[in-house]
Amino acid sequence: MIEAYTHTLLMIDLSRGAVDTLPVPDDYIREFIGGKGFGAKLLHDRLAPGTDPLSPDNLLTFMTGPLTATLAPAMRGCVVTKSPLTNTFLDSYFGGSFSPEIKYAGYDGIIITGKADKPVYLWIDNDDVEIRDASHIWGTDALDSNEAIKKEIGDDTIKIAGIGQAGENLVSYALICCEYNRQAGRGGAGAVMGSKNLKAVAVRGSKTVGVKDPKRFQDACQKAFKELEVSPDVDALREAGTASAVEFANEAGLLPHKNYKNGTFAKASKLADKGQKKHLWMGSNACMGCPIRCSKIGAVRTGKFKGIVTDIVEYESAGLMGSNLDISDVRAVAHLTKLCDRFGMDSMSTGSVIGFAMEACETGLIQSPEGIDLKFGNVEAAEYLIRAIADREPGLGELLAKGVKRAAEEIGGNAKEFAQHTKGLESPAWGPRGVSGMGLAYMTTDRGGCHQRGFPLAYELAGEWEDKTLDPLATEHKAKLVASLQNHSAGTDTLVKCDFGSFGIATETYAEMLSAATGKEVSAQDILDTGERIWSLTRMFNIAQGLDTSQDTLPKRFVSDPLPDGPAKGHRITKQDMETMLQDYYRIRGWDTQGVPTNETLSRLKLI
Amino acid sequence: MQEERAVKQRIHINFDKCTGCSICQLACSFDLFGGYNPRLARLTILNKNEKLYHMPVVCNQCEQAYCMTVCPAKAITRGDDGIVKIDPERCIGCGMCDKYCPIDMILMDPEKKKAHKCELCQGQPLCVEICPTGALELVQAKEIGS
Repeated sequence: MIEAYTHTLLMIDLSRGAVDTLPVPDDYIREFIGGKGFGAKLLHDRLAPGTDPLSPDNLLTFMTGPLTATLAPAMRGCVVTKSPLTNTFLDSYFGGSFSPEIKYAGYDGIIITGKADKPVYLWIDNDDVEIRDASHIWGTDALDSNEAIKKEIGDDTIKIAGIGQAGENLVSYALICCEYNRQAGRGGAGAVMGSKNLKAVAVRGSKTVGVKDPKRFQDACQKAFKELEVSPDVDALREAGTASAVEFANEAGLLPHKNYKNGTFAKASKLADKGQKKHLWMGSNACMGCPIRCSKIGAVRTGKFKGIVTDIVEYESAGLMGSNLDISDVRAVAHLTKLCDRFGMDSMSTGSVIGFAMEACETGLIQSPEGIDLKFGNVEAAEYLIRAIADREPGLGELLAKGVKRAAEEIGGNAKEFAQHTKGLESPAWGPRGVSGMGLAYMTTDRGGCHQRGFPLAYELAGEWEDKTLDPLATEHKAKLVASLQNHSAGTDTLVKCDFGSFGIATETYAEMLSAATGKEVSAQDILDTGERIWSLTRMFNIAQGLDTSQDTLPKRFVSDPLPDGPAKGHRITKQDMETMLQDYYRIRGWDTQGVPTNETLSRLKLI
Repeated sequence: MQEERAVKQRIHINFDKCTGCSICQLACSFDLFGGYNPRLARLTILNKNEKLYHMPVVCNQCEQAYCMTVCPAKAITRGDDGIVKIDPERCIGCGMCDKYCPIDMILMDPEKKKAHKCELCQGQPLCVEICPTGALELVQAKEIGS
């Protein structure tokens, strides 16, 4: 192989037990590059409108990009499927070493359809693909099953993506745990895997991934490495991962406290890098090929939870499983997050769901289970709910396994007013009331309310973007900012890049690495244009699946309740603010007033 | 027994600095095969306890090099620079060196049926050069054993 694509997709139909390969069509590479682009195109072209995400017909795809598995620093892979949590397009990214292994085995991606008639796992040993019985590991958690499969294969160097009990039990926000303990976390991809009776995908690849022009490629990689070295953002991540964001968010009044009622938490520093350094961290961990090493690894050595090995409690978990639940003992938050990792469920959605349940109990809409005091600050109650949800125990476990949107619908009363989600995806740990652009990002992200497809608040709080002065509370310029960031994110997620890498690496450098790797000249603008194309493609997919403009909205609390604390105290994102930003946004994207891409736009983007 | 020739340089491991990123292995595999795959590098990284520890393993350039002792084709020799090297012309791909290396530092090329090992890249090891944390360090004779 002399370039970065393998030009092959592995296709597995679990219903028929059939294994096949598909050559990557040239137009996929030309128009969509890889990663998110391939996944979006596959879903758009192959998934019928109205397909139940948990039916055998749903596609579960693991996609790599042309730079995955090369020396290009900070690359990842993605799972693309239709989400059982939102009924929309879902792309969920993971670091670690699983995605490179897919390429070393000879594939640009894996497409899984159908449903096995009993629990199975896939064993992909280069060209040899086996569907193996997994009955004996069904019911084990994500880390224990990883170990069991390695033992069974007799090779601890194989790379595995698998689910825990939450995925088996179809918890709507179950995740896929990717080698090693890196999560395709959001949106319920683990439930899709569980619905197919697929416990794990194990891969061993011993082929090489090449590049077209080695000298030019290595020069481009060196440039990328240097850009990472001089970036202050990367430096901060290297020092303390995302934990340092806890105090930043607290000072800015964006840290969720008690199911987003408040934007500050008096004990934030206990959850931040300061608290984590004291109680947890021992060393640094890196994903394959990444010099950033944002993950800090360590162990809980004291207190009730001593003995567990723990990754960094990253910002979103610290926010949603910590401050949002009024829990300040970082060792307890590490324990709760680790439980989520083991059961295989998204600690963000889980934290949000628990916060919702605690508020519902506080207001009398639901009752505490016997022997449990379901109130904010109670670690035992949080642990009880995590276990109940993962096992889908009748009662609260079953109810909350559906996510806050559906749980609120079932509870009734005013529960919807404090169910924090957009399109069913639980809100991230960045309360947007003090940063309206962040609100617009949640409203318009293709997979539901998400902070990772554009993070405008960094520019909003800095007060400037390109040549414009930004007021964090105002609506001006926000639509253009959000659309621009989304295009960049989707464009570079074709490679597949890590967001943290892109804090340092210029789009031009990504383009240079890509051009050198593939031999096809691609400019930074081409990458951004591809991002714009993908954003309208996923919109078309979502519309075909039943989405409409009424869902491009924010949870009521962000719209009706003024922020009670922090620098943006008194602010909320009004209905008028939302409408103004949304119509600006639709216009910039070339969508009509209902958020539907016009024919002219689809033609310009080569989508028709 | 082997003719006495001093080990003049080797790679020293500062395992506490290793993050498991495998960038060393990417560089090494590309140098050897013209493509990337950490499995095809001449050094490995062991992980323990849920990746709490990363332990790079590199060729020791042993004073009593079993690979050299057991090679039936006399393909493995120590150069004047102290580095234990495999002559690809002489290597018959029998795998004896692989079998007796205690730390699995012999890499068998499945296609060409030849053995490879770390030969320190003519004194400028790529892995040491590219390691982002200083976990790999080239040390000279006067430092060895000190």
